[in-house]
Amino acid sequence: MTCEVTLRDFRSIARIVNLAHRFNCRCTRIDASADAQATKASFDFDGPTAALTRLRAQIDRILAYEIDEVAG
Amino acid sequence: MNGARAVLEALEREGVDIVFGYPGGAIMPLYDALFQHPVRHALCRHEAAAAFAASGYARTSGRVGVCCATSGPGATNLVTALLDAMMDSVPVVAITGQVRSELMGTDGFQEADVCAITQPITKRNFLIADASEIASTIAEAFALARSGRPGPVLVDIPNDVLKAKLGEDPIVALVADGPRAVEPQLSGAKPRPSADSVREAVARLRAARRPVAIIGGGIRAGGVEQYRTFASMLGIPHAATIMALGAATPGDPAFLGMLGMHGLKAANKAVQRADLLLALGMRFDDRVTGKPDRFAREATVIHADIDATEFNKIIPADVTLHGDLSYTLEALIDELKRGHVPRFDDWAMEARLLGGALPSDRVAERVLSATDALDRLFEVLPPDAIVTTDVGQHQMWTAQRARPLAPRKFATSAGLGAMGFGFPAAIGAAFANPSVPVYAVVGDGGFQMCLPELATLRRYDVPVKIVLIDNHNLGMVRQWQELFFSERYSATNLADNPDFTAIARAYGIAAFSLSDPADAHRVLAEFVAAPGPALLHCACHPTENVWPMIPAGMTVDDLMEARA
Repeated sequence: MTCEVTLRDFRSIARIVNLAHRFNCRCTRIDASADAQATKASFDFDGPTAALTRLRAQIDRILAYEIDEVAG
Repeated sequence: MNGARAVLEALEREGVDIVFGYPGGAIMPLYDALFQHPVRHALCRHEAAAAFAASGYARTSGRVGVCCATSGPGATNLVTALLDAMMDSVPVVAITGQVRSELMGTDGFQEADVCAITQPITKRNFLIADASEIASTIAEAFALARSGRPGPVLVDIPNDVLKAKLGEDPIVALVADGPRAVEPQLSGAKPRPSADSVREAVARLRAARRPVAIIGGGIRAGGVEQYRTFASMLGIPHAATIMALGAATPGDPAFLGMLGMHGLKAANKAVQRADLLLALGMRFDDRVTGKPDRFAREATVIHADIDATEFNKIIPADVTLHGDLSYTLEALIDELKRGHVPRFDDWAMEARLLGGALPSDRVAERVLSATDALDRLFEVLPPDAIVTTDVGQHQMWTAQRARPLAPRKFATSAGLGAMGFGFPAAIGAAFANPSVPVYAVVGDGGFQMCLPELATLRRYDVPVKIVLIDNHNLGMVRQWQELFFSERYSATNLADNPDFTAIARAYGIAAFSLSDPADAHRVLAEFVAAPGPALLHCACHPTENVWPMIPAGMTVDDLMEARA
């Protein structure tokens, strides 16, 4: 599974990697670049389908909270 | 003006009237600023209790609860309560002192990377590097705690930042400083469900023969009146998760009670027989669903939630309604009014008959039964009372029996199940609702995790009434050991409990004892009528169990109503 995300908080990359580990998924690639406004990151994950689905949902929640933040 | 004063000004701008906390080295500048400041501070006796009090304040008022602690152990003591707030979507802002900036990364005294520690258990956390960021960061923290699906936010402030000099108006000073908005407009960004999804949901509802609505914790953020209108216009049988007790109109005959592991039989059976499930602001917790692939197998599922990541997480949804629950319910009501409004009274009656009286263990005549004691308590409790619970058997017995008038009249650690929550949460609830009677129903295990808060009760004369269900056991674990671990009672016996009434009196709290069922009426009347804080110690039968019970990972088909 490949995830392309734009994050406001650079630390969320670490959070996503930790989540992958927690769900028994393997993070096989990370590319990330950041400027003052945002971090663009791309991840590749391997793992059981159900675990990847759960991981994607948790990543979406992280993104949703960041959207909450910048909505104003 | 220094950083600490800027923190308090920012809190005042957010309408904060009280902060629950505990002082320590790194956060001393903030405590110095609090001295004689209009923002009140309630000194708890442990940081965890301060955070639970903030949670109780938020859960029962809808306002953001605030707690503070020093660096290192002070901050780490907040962790359980922050996770509890995250699990139950409670808006809490925690402010922690941090060691001086120059010491960070040196393993300094009382240093902890609290932002890293709390990243998975907060919606967001902030480490403030410059005092000019304080006001905007705190504004952002509050906006985030309140917005969308509410939750906890932590703001970590190094000691030198708290002491740093600022101009007289930090709000003006920060405007020129950085990109953060001073007034985030997040509360105006509540999502509404799409018109198509609402039409689809109503079409499915009109076609249903045995629909059941389940209301969840989302209702705590608002929408109670809309929910009651919606339920009454359809006569639909409906059930509540433990987070949503109080959402139904009192006395509504179509309300089936709490569902889940220790939920009422009618609620669980009706859900299992439903051909349509309308899940409103609930997240299909495993304590509700049991085995997900056998849960409500015949039902079409309409799932409404403000958090889109809840959709299809556990139970696949046929229709999703992404939006604030009050908007969603309004939209459903409006769409129903545009055409035929179905009535489900016959099915609701049939659903009620799937249940029956709550089963309970018979105990010896002269021994107090916890369920009897709670039944009698709820007969004499003031109707507008707020009830908090701790975690365990008493929590389930209370949830089965309490009839709160609104969701914010009942507060419990639902998702996390954190023992030690109930009593300090009641203290927070009492501060938030000074004219409302507040009762904390606790067990002998959880109460001993927060006994020192009796001092908080005494100091502020908070009129919390504590109902201690003492069965000399960690009862819920004992119950599982009896039922599922071959009666091997490992580490659950509390036969050596202290004299709780003596402890309460030592703190200056009035204490009452109840052990003979024949005395229940008199003792309860005296306890309820007692002015100020008080403890009622109920010496209960040690092996009474919670029934009914759906064993973990199973379904209502496996429901137990008594020992095998």
